[in-house]
Amino acid sequence: MGKTIIEKIIQAHTDDDAAPRKIVWMGLDVRSARDFGGPNVVKNYEREYSGLPLADKKKTFFTFDLCVPASSLKYADAQQVCRDFAQKHDIKVFDVNKGIGSHVLIEEGLAGANSTVVGTDSHLNILGAVGCFGQGMGDVDIAFAFRTGKTWFEVPETIKVLLKGDFSYPATAKDLTLKVLKELGTKRAALKAVEFYGEAVRELSLSGRITLCSMVTEMAGVIGFIPEFEDSFRKEIEGISKTEFNPVQADEDCHYSEVIEISIDRLAPQVAVPFSPDNVQDISELKGTKIHSGFIGSCTNGRTEDLALAARELNEKKVKEDVMLKVVPATARVYEELLEQGILQALFRAGAIISNPGCGGCAEGHIGLTGEGEVQISTGNRNFEGKQGKGKTYLASPAVVAASCVRGEIASPEDL
Amino acid sequence: MKKGRVWKYGDDINTDVIFPGKYTYSILEPNQMAQHALEDLDPDFAEKVNPGDVIMAGKNFGCGSSREQAAICLKYAGIQAVVAKSFARIFFRNAINQGLPVLQSEEAVENIEDREEIEIDFAKGEIKGSKGIYKFSPFPKSVLGILEAGGLIAYTKKKLEQKKEED
Repeated sequence: MGKTIIEKIIQAHTDDDAAPRKIVWMGLDVRSARDFGGPNVVKNYEREYSGLPLADKKKTFFTFDLCVPASSLKYADAQQVCRDFAQKHDIKVFDVNKGIGSHVLIEEGLAGANSTVVGTDSHLNILGAVGCFGQGMGDVDIAFAFRTGKTWFEVPETIKVLLKGDFSYPATAKDLTLKVLKELGTKRAALKAVEFYGEAVRELSLSGRITLCSMVTEMAGVIGFIPEFEDSFRKEIEGISKTEFNPVQADEDCHYSEVIEISIDRLAPQVAVPFSPDNVQDISELKGTKIHSGFIGSCTNGRTEDLALAARELNEKKVKEDVMLKVVPATARVYEELLEQGILQALFRAGAIISNPGCGGCAEGHIGLTGEGEVQISTGNRNFEGKQGKGKTYLASPAVVAASCVRGEIASPEDL
Repeated sequence: MKKGRVWKYGDDINTDVIFPGKYTYSILEPNQMAQHALEDLDPDFAEKVNPGDVIMAGKNFGCGSSREQAAICLKYAGIQAVVAKSFARIFFRNAINQGLPVLQSEEAVENIEDREEIEIDFAKGEIKGSKGIYKFSPFPKSVLGILEAGGLIAYTKKKLEQKKEED
């Protein structure tokens, strides 16, 4: 019998039989740690493998993105612990100026198609967007991976999700993603790999692929792949990563544990209601809900195209006086593109607060929290209670967040 | 086989309520982590939990961030096992790597009540409640090796020592 994409990638990294539900020892092309989890990786390593070398320093990295630059002593200490370890072992640090680690690994060509990458970021399965098997793990796992270059892994079963129809603006890749999350919930894709097919996803660019693959985490899935692509995507990803893009494809006679069809014709903007990312409704159900703040960024929606959409909605308009809009580009590379294209200038003139690149605004603790009673609309991926403070967070697309910040209430671009 | 009391919760219990993010870099000792376990979900838990108690929950237990503290704080609170309808992938790994058994049994979760006293037989793969006995699927050999060694680190050390002896 043929193999699905995840089975092929794992098979190429193990001597065991990579059959679904079997646990195998898997080789890792890249192992990384962030400033979140990283210091504990170091602590584990120094305690348990003291004096022993890394399996391969050229495949080991730190990526600082959670609290950058450190806004508290504990993060400053945490980052320095990682830097000292990095210097001692001669490994590269993508430091506090570089942006979100998963995106940086793509841009640097380190997370390529068919490779295996682990790190301490629970959204590392974003790398599925470029055909890479990325996986977030805890700090004991990562310390082990630093030392041995491998990890134990249960080969997941694969489900096939076929998206029927196509969408058009003001619906975006985020609305498609939230719609899929609504349909799959946190159960149907749980612990599975997902292959997405259909015209709507074949046409997605890198930013849209990242949006959809990032939220496979919220679907409780292991990884999402979008196997089909247009030539324009190949050019885009090869241009950015400076590596060839030749992702493996599933065999025709492979086995899917389930095939799910989701119709996305006439897709309207979607909004996830607090406190669960899969608590998704059509925007029409929520229009008029008063908001106090907006956030555009995160590993899910922090790329140039995402922020360009927001700028387009804010063009010659202003963020409402009693609303605060925070913008955080994903990476330094994105930041530069935004500067070159005049997008940061447009967002600034509309009244947005613009931060340096990183995870701020989605992860707790940087570029502000939400206070009790505060209602926020965000392009992030999680709206759990307490995730960004004591307030309530709605999740939506960059276009909807921008429109809502102009109106001071949940609104669609069509309402402007 | 150890008896324990059940602390029962619902679906989608996320790592932010198991171990709040605000403590991740201020509380570093496992025993102190245990004092804040489930703080935002059940303020009574940390104070009243007894060694050997069991957490039961619905689907997708441990969803959210990759923080290892979520597994550590439960282990050091004395929890002997977490039984759920299903687990989020990263929590599942972290728990096993910390030597905290995570058992999947929809039947047990459906039929066992909050605060009920139960017994778990790991060798037989059975959970004994007041209304019946429920099966859980035993761990594959490789995972069992990690759990029996007391976690991934202890397992690796054991393996490395074995290798040294062979060399």
